[in-house]
Amino acid sequence: MHTRFEHSLGVMQVATLLYDAICQKSAEILKSDLAYNKDGLGRDRQLVRFAALLHDVGHSPFSHGSEDLFPIRPGGKRFKHEDYSVEIIRSELRSAIEEHNLNANYGLDAEDIAALVEGTSKAKQPIFWRDLIDGQMDADRMDYLLRDSYHTGVKYGGFDLSRILTTIRAIRSRDGHSPQLGVSRGGWHAAEGLVLARYFMFTQIYFHKTRVAYDIHLRGALKELLPGGFFPAPSGLGLKSYLKWDDWKVLGLLAGGKGGSHGTRLRTRNHFRRVFDTPEVPTKKDLEIFERVKKKLGRLVVAEEYSTKSWYKTGQPDIPVIDDHNPKDVKPLSKYSSVVRGLKANNQIFLYVSPEKFESADAKVREITSHARSK
Amino acid sequence: MPEANESRLAIFPVLADRSKGGHMGRTALMKYMYLLQTVRGVPLGYHFTLYSYGPFDSDVLSDLSIAEALEAVKTELELYSGGYGYKIRAGRNAKWLERRASKFLNKYSGDIDWVIKKFGAFTSAELELIGTIVYVDQESAGGKKRIGLNQIAKLVHEIKPHFAESKVLQFAQKLEKEKILGAAS
Repeated sequence: MHTRFEHSLGVMQVATLLYDAICQKSAEILKSDLAYNKDGLGRDRQLVRFAALLHDVGHSPFSHGSEDLFPIRPGGKRFKHEDYSVEIIRSELRSAIEEHNLNANYGLDAEDIAALVEGTSKAKQPIFWRDLIDGQMDADRMDYLLRDSYHTGVKYGGFDLSRILTTIRAIRSRDGHSPQLGVSRGGWHAAEGLVLARYFMFTQIYFHKTRVAYDIHLRGALKELLPGGFFPAPSGLGLKSYLKWDDWKVLGLLAGGKGGSHGTRLRTRNHFRRVFDTPEVPTKKDLEIFERVKKKLGRLVVAEEYSTKSWYKTGQPDIPVIDDHNPKDVKPLSKYSSVVRGLKANNQIFLYVSPEKFESADAKVREITSHARSK
Repeated sequence: MPEANESRLAIFPVLADRSKGGHMGRTALMKYMYLLQTVRGVPLGYHFTLYSYGPFDSDVLSDLSIAEALEAVKTELELYSGGYGYKIRAGRNAKWLERRASKFLNKYSGDIDWVIKKFGAFTSAELELIGTIVYVDQESAGGKKRIGLNQIAKLVHEIKPHFAESKVLQFAQKLEKEKILGAAS
């Protein structure tokens, strides 16, 4: 077992290594395109380290599993864990950051860190570094892939971090655009390895049918435990109250018999069963079969879960690959790597039923799927 | 597929079809979605935040990958001197997806026309700049402390130093004249 604190320290370390490598290899672009001098880079190194350390500080108990229980903000969208992170930075951690003796060297405000984590214009020039916190080659994913792989004991999730550190660059990928993080040509296989590591970890671990089932129960149990069924909003007393909800409190309540029927299923490990799932990349026909199955099962379906993830996004953050000997030669990673080019976004849908109803539900699914196959 | 997701995916081929030449780039797609949601209030449910390349939500590109897998759109990579770009066109299953989301598309058809008409002629670098200007304006509107065009230009220049402050100001003035600044959703 490992904790989010351990991961946060890891993200800070990886972000620091990436930052130093970029400053060493791309000093000219940082100076000419982003108006950096030595002092500016020294200050922003500390800013990036703070942002990396604190970017996840607002996570709810058991992290992503309970994010559906964040309240809806005015305007209709649900709060995200980043909203809690930035409020914690601005309020609870403000004095610890701003009044620390060492901060006399940097003059950082809590707001500077919050703006970089949140992605607002107050971040100003350092917004360039946001890709190290939340981007295609960010320190967060580099750390969680290696860490989760190690702790789960799987043989997936590995990639060559050292090679990425040697080849990472700030690159002018397109005329008239801001520089982006990319790699030199010698590093494209390392970048490809990172993309594939993520693909395997999501398909084998994070989207595993039983792990997804436990998300359903955790969410259901927390809904019972939380006053009103939702976490408080990230402001004032709401934030104070939110901070009291950690993994240990939830585990204690569950062990004490709380959490309703989902709490019981967690305690007895009697989880919902996946009765049907689409392929990872469903076609039009697959989606039509899914709809027929769902209709046939009717009320037997107790949960419908979506595993939606794009392994690699060939758009703005497409990792640029530069030829060090010919800086005009910049191509996206998807041009070099046929493997990356061939990866399609996961859009898998799972239907779950209670274990007590699994057999009758499974028979109904077979009726549809065998009929569809014979067509 | 949830109805809301289908609606988001179904906009892609429609935007491509209505763009000049029947195709659009990926930067254009990202910024069109941002402008549709933020300026016109089309309920797309994205969560845009700011990067050095302007407002961005990786979910737009996840949705695009799903639309590609469903063959509702197809994308080609184009290499040229000094960089690369993409051409997104409607795919062979575009009409199937559009039929499934027809209620949503009919309701917001005018907004889709609006975004193409107003922004279809800009380059991807200009769209990044426009998106950033609108983002900064929206932020100030959200904070109830509206800032002037000169301040917007200064802030955007700090975020994107390779654009001269005077050029940013020109764009901001144009957007204000078009009543795009200050159009909070």
